[in-house]
Amino acid sequence: MTKKMYRNITMISFIIGFMLAVQYNTVQSPAERNTVDIWEIRQQLSVEQERHSELLTAISDLSDTVSKYEDAEFNNPEILLEQTVDNLKESAGILPTRGPGLTLTIEPSQELMNFGYEIKPVSPELLIRLINDLYRSNAQAIEIDDKRLTYNTAIRDINGKTTVNSEPIEDTNIEINVITPTYEQAEKLKNHLLASSFQDEFYIDNLVLTIHEAEKNVRINSVVTVQKSNYLSEK
Amino acid sequence: MWLPLLGLIFGVVLGILTDIQIPSVYENYLSIAVLAALDTMVGGIRAQLQQVYDDKVFISGFFFNIILAAGLAFLGVHIGVDLYLAAIFAFGVRLFQNIAVIRRLILTKFENRKLNK
Repeated sequence: MTKKMYRNITMISFIIGFMLAVQYNTVQSPAERNTVDIWEIRQQLSVEQERHSELLTAISDLSDTVSKYEDAEFNNPEILLEQTVDNLKESAGILPTRGPGLTLTIEPSQELMNFGYEIKPVSPELLIRLINDLYRSNAQAIEIDDKRLTYNTAIRDINGKTTVNSEPIEDTNIEINVITPTYEQAEKLKNHLLASSFQDEFYIDNLVLTIHEAEKNVRINSVVTVQKSNYLSEK
Repeated sequence: MWLPLLGLIFGVVLGILTDIQIPSVYENYLSIAVLAALDTMVGGIRAQLQQVYDDKVFISGFFFNIILAAGLAFLGVHIGVDLYLAAIFAFGVRLFQNIAVIRRLILTKFENRKLNK
């Protein structure tokens, strides 16, 4: 009798122990399923590799500059410094720049105008989306309606007018100039824009986005007003 | 005496080594089943100490309690009431009562042994 009882209790306690362990396993490590397949990992890897090579290029550029400085230390450091300053000015948008690039135009849709549709000015949201996409596709310098975009450019709505650098742009007929590092990249950018949904998105706002052929030489003007503070400056 | 404890340890070791995991949806059911099983076992030990132990009652109670508790939890999930709390409450209270009875029985046993010496 007691033997049988012991056997039963042992069996039950074995089952309890097993259930406890399973519960413990489940609570401690909720099954984390690895849903990333090999292809996604490869894509991530290629993105990282691209960044790696970009960084390497930047490093070699900078070390070039450093070696030039070191070479010119006794000859003529001024020219080099001026070059560096010019480069910085160019990337800050103070100097005009030229290079291979692309021109985009935004116009009101003619057939919709003929039907009497109201054409609204291009919205800042749409413009920002386009600009972000351009920068993501390696655009170096961008100009919207003769207004150069710099690091502190704001595209926003002021009293119903879309403004760039706090200056209103034209309601419709807008020209956007884009400069890319190489001509190939300009062509790539053109194809990217053609394949993207931007033309459709502009058409929703009754506007037509025309993407022109890539050009070898696009000129972008400098920022018109360089804001300077005379406060505390020597007279 | 040590056999049930050995069984428990063996069960835990086997469970951890096999690394079985259940879907988190069924976690609630398993926790209730564990509670029901613990309740049944403690009940069985108490019955044995009070000399009213019956094999059929013990085994049937084990499975019936687990099924009832899991069924109650299942029903609760489907009608949107936390019925598993009822099972947890019932088993929890019974567990405490049974353990208290076992403690008293063991204490009396020890005292009797002391008096006999």
